[in-house]
Amino acid sequence: MNKDRRNQKIAFWLFLTPVLFSFFMVQIIPFVIGVYYSFTNWSATAQPSIDFVGLTNYMEAFKDATFLYATIITSIYTLANIILVNVIAFSLAMLVTTQIKGRNIYRAGFFLPNVIGGIILGYIWQYIFNQFIPTVGGIIGVKFLTDNLMLADSKTALAALVIVSTWQYAGYIMMIYVAALQNVPRDLIEAAQIDGATPWQRFKAITIPMVRPAFTVTLFLTLVNSFKQFDVNASLTGVGPSTMFMGKAINGTTLLAMNISNTSLVLRNTALAQAKAILFFIVLVIFSLIQVYYSKKKEVEL
Amino acid sequence: MNRKITRNLLEALAIMLVIFFMVPLVLVFINANKTNAEILNAPLSLPENWGTIWKNIANIWTNPNIRYSKALYSSVIVTFFSLAGITIFSAMGAWVLVRTKTKTSFAIFMMFVAAMVIPFQVVMFPLVKWFGTFQQWTGIPMLRSYFGIIVAYIGFGSSLSIFMFHGFMKSIPLDIEEAAYIDGCGKVKTFFLIVLPILKPIYVTVLILNGIWIWNDFLLPMLVLGKGTPVQTIPLAVSNFAGAFVTSYDLMMTAIFMALVPVVIFFISAQKHIIKGMVEGSVK
Amino acid sequence: MKKLIILISMLLVAFSLTGCAPKKTVEITFKQNKPEIDAQLQAFAAAYEEETGVKVNIVSCGGSSCSLGDMLRSDYAADEMPEIFPIDGIEAYNEWATIIDDLSGEEWVKDTDVSFKVDGKVVGFPVSIEGWGMAYNADLLEEAGVDPATLTNYDAYMAAFAKIDGMKAELGIDSVVSMAAGPGMYWVTAHHNFNSLLSNGLPYGDRSVVDALLDGDIDETRLNEYADWVNLLFTYADNTVLTTGNYDSQVGAFLNQKAVFLHQGNWVDGNLTAATFDMAFAPHGSSKTATDGIFVSAPAWYVVNKDSENAQAAKDFLEFMVYNEIGQKYMVEEAGMIPAFKNVTLQPTGKLSKSVMAWAKAGKIFSWQQYNFTGDFRDNTLGPIYNQLASKEATIDQFKALLKKALEDNAD
Repeated sequence: MNKDRRNQKIAFWLFLTPVLFSFFMVQIIPFVIGVYYSFTNWSATAQPSIDFVGLTNYMEAFKDATFLYATIITSIYTLANIILVNVIAFSLAMLVTTQIKGRNIYRAGFFLPNVIGGIILGYIWQYIFNQFIPTVGGIIGVKFLTDNLMLADSKTALAALVIVSTWQYAGYIMMIYVAALQNVPRDLIEAAQIDGATPWQRFKAITIPMVRPAFTVTLFLTLVNSFKQFDVNASLTGVGPSTMFMGKAINGTTLLAMNISNTSLVLRNTALAQAKAILFFIVLVIFSLIQVYYSKKKEVEL
Repeated sequence: MNRKITRNLLEALAIMLVIFFMVPLVLVFINANKTNAEILNAPLSLPENWGTIWKNIANIWTNPNIRYSKALYSSVIVTFFSLAGITIFSAMGAWVLVRTKTKTSFAIFMMFVAAMVIPFQVVMFPLVKWFGTFQQWTGIPMLRSYFGIIVAYIGFGSSLSIFMFHGFMKSIPLDIEEAAYIDGCGKVKTFFLIVLPILKPIYVTVLILNGIWIWNDFLLPMLVLGKGTPVQTIPLAVSNFAGAFVTSYDLMMTAIFMALVPVVIFFISAQKHIIKGMVEGSVK
Repeated sequence: MKKLIILISMLLVAFSLTGCAPKKTVEITFKQNKPEIDAQLQAFAAAYEEETGVKVNIVSCGGSSCSLGDMLRSDYAADEMPEIFPIDGIEAYNEWATIIDDLSGEEWVKDTDVSFKVDGKVVGFPVSIEGWGMAYNADLLEEAGVDPATLTNYDAYMAAFAKIDGMKAELGIDSVVSMAAGPGMYWVTAHHNFNSLLSNGLPYGDRSVVDALLDGDIDETRLNEYADWVNLLFTYADNTVLTTGNYDSQVGAFLNQKAVFLHQGNWVDGNLTAATFDMAFAPHGSSKTATDGIFVSAPAWYVVNKDSENAQAAKDFLEFMVYNEIGQKYMVEEAGMIPAFKNVTLQPTGKLSKSVMAWAKAGKIFSWQQYNFTGDFRDNTLGPIYNQLASKEATIDQFKALLKKALEDNAD
């Protein structure tokens, strides 16, 4: 028995070694180095020496109004994104797991937006928001659409960000829901049907509980990825139309990741950027813990 | 009768939604068929000459500074081995993590999950620095090498993959594995012959999600492989289309289209396996 | 399955061993931030290798898809800094100061006025000369009956803009000026336009206004006149381009003759090759008194990494660019740049580049002083203020107050 347990242990580590090696090499060790740098004056450029500066960077991050603003709008953006992406992704997943013809094509269609990234994504959507929508507004006679450019105002530009990231990300999350929905045994649903359950009852009593674990995964993923959003932000709205915040004109749609990147490249203070990123990490850990806690609680309740 | 109407309605809805989702992609295709001047003047109008895309493709393919065929080869190598590594290694890891109920096991799992939260900015420069140091210590080439970028992708991809495998493995009944043990299978054999096939739908999903990311990624290859070095993936090779002032939208759109084609083929063929896996699962 | 794993690991090892070929010839790496001249530079490097046997690896990283700052930081972490790379001003210089070589002894130093100097030492090789003013469509101005020679101060511009605005339909234009103040375009407002406040009308190299502003000592008359000029430009600009336009849409409006004026510099020549009309630069009208000149300087400088064992080869390469015919042809004819060196007699063909050269030849040039303010101040403080005025969130009076406060805060 003892030998067996030892074998078990060896197998456990053997199976884990390849993935743990890569994981430590690229995530854990650099992360630890990164945390260390946040307490120094590190510039990532040619500097005579890297000196320990204690909590200076963290103090400065707390004083930075743009960082506070970025945290607020990133939270708003994340909340809107989690709701919209998941509602749409789940509906799409339901749709493409029914017996409709050509559901593979639809899946591909919903998923493909994921493939367009970078400047082209920005170029095309900017054109849609700046030219296409006002033109359509003019044709159908809705003055609101012609007079208000979504990307010209910080609030509507944030909404535009949510729209485009939902378009881009819903198909991705849909794939996870599809995988989960396919785990729901057909015979269970058929049995319920024979028992005379209405579609809504079947949905509530069978489908939802069966895919409940998937919700924990998808909600966590949308939370983390929305919070870390950089690509769509950079290519669609950039730093964003300005807005007044605490008596100053500041960039209106700079989400946290972009604020950090700009701190390193524009403000040229990489150590401060590093400290901000660590704070960002802590905030996100707290949010994720809350989310996972509630999801798990719901899982138990059902 | 009623069911048929519902199904038709659903199909109509699906078609409408797909069209809505595809509009920007169609715009990419339309604009890949234009010259740069045409795109700048009228991105929404139809191209003057539909054959332009072939000219654009030839332009990219034959450009001596891009070396597209070489980049395509590199991208295929990087994507293939990274994906193979991610799925096999993560599935192996996730399996022992699920089946071993110890504190260590739980802690390791939580570490993988927590790492998903790490902002990339924290690790990007330390990563390069660490790879360089490791290379000096051990002589194993990490920077500017296939090995380094593949390790990097396995490392970054492992979090999501372990998280997903872990979630789905919990629902696999233990008795199948135990039966295999009794049959005299070792741990390795049990995993590859019994567990992995059952996981088919989920690992195909993991493959798709990671595959798209790796295929299109720019920043990580720029950091680990570097621009203008011998090993260049497609996103690195074609990144000169966007200039400081002059941007070649025609070539960018065409490059996206060219990158899209293998993705679509991969996706549709992978989809079949998800369905197949589902059918097999229901037979059992 | 086992075999597959063995195969994979063997292949991984095999791949990891490639790319370690021993170096024989001298090789230098040249990183630069204009991808649009990458092909020309590659061709030049190939010619250089044929001539001298030194291999020059060209790497371009810039525009919106590649960040040179990220790349250099990554190169530094990897201990693979290039032999030659660009800096755009004192902030970038400071980041790399400890590895930047002194170029004071180079031959080309005597042939240029715009090298980058720090503490009396020459450290940067000027990439080219660039200039901006108000680019105008000469054909449309003539049609409107406006003489560009009169456009030297605020009042002249105000009259001209009002006149042209009244003739929109006849001229077939959407707006008078093609101006951009949206996100991503703060370099047009908070860098270039802002420079009018700092140096317009002053002798070349005069830092009096800059130094006063850096001390928080604000000349209100100058500031107010300048703010009115900004407001004038915004008032007569197309709203969509002004608030949401990118570089391509801003230049596109001028190219398609939808706007008479363009607030950009001679680098737009590369985007205007299809233009059929005549064009040139007029001065900025940021003050009531006449300011007869445009803003001309070197936009960036190449620096040499002194820690590299091939630093001398890098210097030789730069010298070749200035004194060899192949190098001169590359700079001027292939890359379309205005040479920063007096010994080069070739001239670029772009219409606006020619206009810059004409102004420079007449000695009517003002300096670029915007880099005396940090990038952070320009992009994160000033940019949003201009954007407030552009989107009409702020009135002209609020704009003036915000500008004044920002400059005061900056001095603290």
